[in-house]
Amino acid sequence: MSMEHRESVPSLSFPRQTLVSLLVFALAWEALSHLAPYLGIPPFAIPSIVKIAKSFADITPLDIAVTLARVIGALIASFVFGVALAVAMYRSETLENYLHPMIRILMAVPVVSWILFAVLWFPGVEFRIGFVLVVVCGPVFLVDSLDAMRGVPRELRHMMRSFRPTTWQFFGKLMLPAIVPSLFTSWKVNISLAIRVVTIAELVGAVTGIGHQLSVAQELFSVADVFAWTLVLVALLFLLEALVARVEARMLRWRA
Amino acid sequence: MKTGTDGPPPIEVRGLRKVFRQATTGQSVVAIDRLDLTIAPREVVAIVGQTGCGKSTFFDLMIGLTAPTEGTLAIGDKSPHAHFDFFRGRIATVFQQDRLLPWRSALDNARLPLELIGLPDGEQRERALAWLNRLGLGQFTNAFPHELSGGMRQRVAIARAFAVEPDIMLADEAFGHLDEVTAAELRETFLALARECGSTAILITHQLEEAIGVGDRIVVFGKSAKLLADIHVARWPKAKYALLREAIQSTLQSNKPDPRLHDPAAPRRKKANR
Repeated sequence: MSMEHRESVPSLSFPRQTLVSLLVFALAWEALSHLAPYLGIPPFAIPSIVKIAKSFADITPLDIAVTLARVIGALIASFVFGVALAVAMYRSETLENYLHPMIRILMAVPVVSWILFAVLWFPGVEFRIGFVLVVVCGPVFLVDSLDAMRGVPRELRHMMRSFRPTTWQFFGKLMLPAIVPSLFTSWKVNISLAIRVVTIAELVGAVTGIGHQLSVAQELFSVADVFAWTLVLVALLFLLEALVARVEARMLRWRA
Repeated sequence: MKTGTDGPPPIEVRGLRKVFRQATTGQSVVAIDRLDLTIAPREVVAIVGQTGCGKSTFFDLMIGLTAPTEGTLAIGDKSPHAHFDFFRGRIATVFQQDRLLPWRSALDNARLPLELIGLPDGEQRERALAWLNRLGLGQFTNAFPHELSGGMRQRVAIARAFAVEPDIMLADEAFGHLDEVTAAELRETFLALARECGSTAILITHQLEEAIGVGDRIVVFGKSAKLLADIHVARWPKAKYALLREAIQSTLQSNKPDPRLHDPAAPRRKKANR
């Protein structure tokens, strides 16, 4: 398979090297779990592979579905909010001058601070989680979209204007399609960001979701459960990234 | 297609002036200084001039993307800038580079201006396909721009421009970047289609061969689009084209009209005896 083909159609299969490295890690872990008592490490800190596998059996699909729904819902809201505001800022220099410092401040605030603000400001758990995700992911979509719009070649903008489009046509037929490659990059960055942020947000007050299950596992000192849920999160991230990569390859097939 | 009285309106340029303020220095630059020009319906006019003489500014004013600082540029009784929407589908352009949208197939690029004027889907497709076929691209309608050669891409750009059957067709150095054979072929095609559509065509070029070969008239711009010469090519016998080319060259270099450009069909005044 050529490099070009490999790039255009992302594969969901694991290369041999990945499988080998995962196997080596699992064997090392298993060995360490047996050696732990002799090394002065409490046995519960490094559970055996069998114990972790048993924890996998207790994974509740509902919690995965809830976390996934929160992530996807918040990403869609962030995308709409970010791109809409980017279009408005691209059209109005005044608006951009006023909003740009605010966006920079938003992006500088740590996630933990947003979670604390959300807990203090909003009573509803779902709204808190949604707020934190949108306030973290939205600016990424906004900044990336705005930069990409500014990067649309002048020649193409000039050509489009020469055919006298309405404002909607100008954005619908030129600017938005032109920034699609950048939007895919933003989606990939934000999926990873959202998966990590949703877990922290769910730790505070949520009664469902992977973050909540992690919190329960921590209270029970069950490292095996923490491990299992973490692996689920990682798998979820890979799955979403692969999904986006597939859609990207399909939508950007016009690229050389 | 425009036939009989349903032709494109004349273009009247009176005292046209365009001044830019440089962003870095704040100094004013006069790009066009009091230009007067009349272009009759269905005329094919080649505008020649040296780099920076105001040709592209004139092009932008014709498209209506910028407003004149002073004077008027009217197509019929309307200004392409002030009546921007009126000219949607009435003015079309072919640029130096094809400027195709890379994410659209040849067919979708050709139908772009038809989408903008709001034609029904079926008609858009039919018209775009017809123009691509006329330009010899019937086998490549689903190809993306990166899959086509430079000449083929420029053909798509020409199909895109003609798809709306515009009153005014503008071409800005449209064939300058192509090899000589392809350029000559496309130039002929462009001219034939413009005549067939009954469009007024204005070509901006720096290639004198192209100007002489294509234009009914050659308008020579000096600095700040000063009108140095207005040549009706048909009045020149083909045997004198070499002289015409030399005279235009000399006009461009000296920035003043060469006496040899005197219209050969116009009666010459005899020198009065002292």
